[in-house]
Amino acid sequence: MKAHPAKQLNNMGMSGALPSSLASLPPSLEDTYSKLSDSQPAFVENELTTRPFTHSSSSGVVGPMFSSSPGYSTDLHHSSLSPHDKQSKNTHFLSPTFGNIASLPLPYSSNNGPIPSTTPTHYSKGNSASWHADSLNSFLDLPTSTPIDSSQVESSACNIMASEDYSKQNNWQEWADQLISDDDTLTSNWNDILVDNIQDLEPKVPKSSSQFPAAHQQLPASSGENHVGATPSSSANSAPAKPRMRWTPELHEAFVDAVNQLGGSERATPKGVLKLMKVEGLTIYHVKSHLQKYRTARYRPESSEGSSEKKLGTIEEMPSLDLKTGIEITEALRMQMEVQKRLHEQLEIQRNLQLRIEEQGRYLQMMFEKQCKSGGIEPFKASSSAIDSTSGVSSDAMKDSPAKSEMEAIPVDLCSSGPHQANGNATAEKKSLEVSGKQDAPEDPKQLASESEDSGHPPKRPRTDE
Amino acid sequence: MKFGKRLKQQIQDSLPEWRDKFLSYKELKKLVKLISAAPTRRNESLEYGKAESDFVYLLDIEIDKFNGFFMEQEEEFVIRHENLKQKIKRVVDLWGPNGIHPSEENYKEEMEKIRKAIVDFHGEMVLLVNYSNINYTGLAKILKKYDKRTGGLLRLPFIQKVLVQPFFTTDIISNLVKECESIIDTVFPAEEAAERAKEAIVVAGEGIFRNTVKALLTMQEIRKGSSTESPFSLPPLNLPDSDLIQSIQLNAAVPIV
Repeated sequence: MKAHPAKQLNNMGMSGALPSSLASLPPSLEDTYSKLSDSQPAFVENELTTRPFTHSSSSGVVGPMFSSSPGYSTDLHHSSLSPHDKQSKNTHFLSPTFGNIASLPLPYSSNNGPIPSTTPTHYSKGNSASWHADSLNSFLDLPTSTPIDSSQVESSACNIMASEDYSKQNNWQEWADQLISDDDTLTSNWNDILVDNIQDLEPKVPKSSSQFPAAHQQLPASSGENHVGATPSSSANSAPAKPRMRWTPELHEAFVDAVNQLGGSERATPKGVLKLMKVEGLTIYHVKSHLQKYRTARYRPESSEGSSEKKLGTIEEMPSLDLKTGIEITEALRMQMEVQKRLHEQLEIQRNLQLRIEEQGRYLQMMFEKQCKSGGIEPFKASSSAIDSTSGVSSDAMKDSPAKSEMEAIPVDLCSSGPHQANGNATAEKKSLEVSGKQDAPEDPKQLASESEDSGHPPKRPRTDE
Repeated sequence: MKFGKRLKQQIQDSLPEWRDKFLSYKELKKLVKLISAAPTRRNESLEYGKAESDFVYLLDIEIDKFNGFFMEQEEEFVIRHENLKQKIKRVVDLWGPNGIHPSEENYKEEMEKIRKAIVDFHGEMVLLVNYSNINYTGLAKILKKYDKRTGGLLRLPFIQKVLVQPFFTTDIISNLVKECESIIDTVFPAEEAAERAKEAIVVAGEGIFRNTVKALLTMQEIRKGSSTESPFSLPPLNLPDSDLIQSIQLNAAVPIV
């Protein structure tokens, strides 16, 4: 099995669910990877045995399905590998190298190359793509010719179903029905979500994240959350890949209300709670797991608060503390609290800084892309003035010049229609991007921009106080 | 390798069940090396594109891992928070100023338990936020390395995507943390006897406290200033009581009687 994964990649071109992008890495990389692959056993075996899907032949209508975001449909890819030994060997490729990381195989969407129209032709058996459509159909009794988004729904539902041996088929029927009935909002969102490029996740996610605090639990939010937070089957959870619901305090409150209405955590049933909550996009699966967590959490406080307490030991257990009085313990706790508060404070500050840094970077990038379209040296002159205007945006901790040096480098990389010099020096500029303030490249564009900079600015950004 | 070491340290210092949920920084670094060592770089854009998509794929797996773990913890914390609030309410109603007065011992004991519970809970949540942050930092660094070594332009767009991931949007947890901080006041006695904590430095030992102290110190170390400072780098950490915190850590080995 370990023999020559690299070679097989070459021979097979693309087989099964593997995208063409992995089929031919440069030989040196392949060799390196194949060496690395010897170190760890195959995880794939486990996955393969649990997915007894069969193949069938039909049109390749679901070809594009494979190009959807990996987090969501990797399990499908798992399944498609099962009957194919060769394919499973391919998955050794990267996975063994990363114990934690790649507990999933390689199949994923290639963000770069074109996939949809060409994938069917790459599949050696030619049918693995189409297999999905049929087997899914048989499970869920849905038409073959449904658009891709629906088939995605089926596939994910089917995937989860299969892994639990169809015991939850009813639930998934429910779920699938629920989702499919909301046609308009659903399909548009599914379409959004299931587009090839992972990068497309960005516009969707803000929509859902922004709805967290608003406790606005409509389908778009939930499905967005579900997709974004899709847990790969490799996670420590017992269940395989499940669309994840983000439980906000508001949502939980609604949950608790429903549970109490039904007579407490012991008596309440997932179905009942689900019905009472009336939250779109919430599935019985979500409720079930949440209820389970809720129940165990209620038991624990009776004895001690939180699981980690026991594992980590409490202050009371330390022998030296037998002599401590209540007040001292309280003081110790207070101190612990202070430290924790401090840490949290710093984390928040750090996070805000990080956000602002990236925001600024993105803003600058956008701006230069715009400027570059107008072409010529103009962009750099204009950017200098923009530098001054954006300097106010910099956080307290950042000096202006780092931003400027960043700006000088960015347009060079990003302007497709930029000045010829810029293009020629792309690599050089890129390197200088990493070193703040270094003005070694005496190109005209740089000089133009550096005119507006403070003279004698030290290369390293000086320490700042917060 | 500084960050790599710090990350490793953090991982070791974190709660046991968290340890495999962190970024596989070392492996990703190796991968970046491999990719950059490949003869075909940007010249053959096809090869390069594939290597890049491999890399992105692995990063996405990492992100999924973070998201999954984070949201699960978050869910648990939401539940525990609610439970805690209810419990406190019960205790306060029952034994507080308005309710019946139980024996001093019982009340004291209960309150102590509750206080400890809140503080530890608060700590755990903060550690989760720290987890989120450390992983983000790791991702940012690995992307930076990638761009640097392969001449790619992956960092900027990719990091934008990361910024909106659930594991990085820690608002819910942060709110819970702040709520905890306000609850604390109702549960802790007034600060009459509150000689400043220096006199009550306890053995941090195992536990949440130790973890948070270490997290704070690690954070300080990580931000001390690197050889590759850029506009995208964070400034050094400004911790007013850093000596205090250092002393806490030092005392960890010595029980105070």
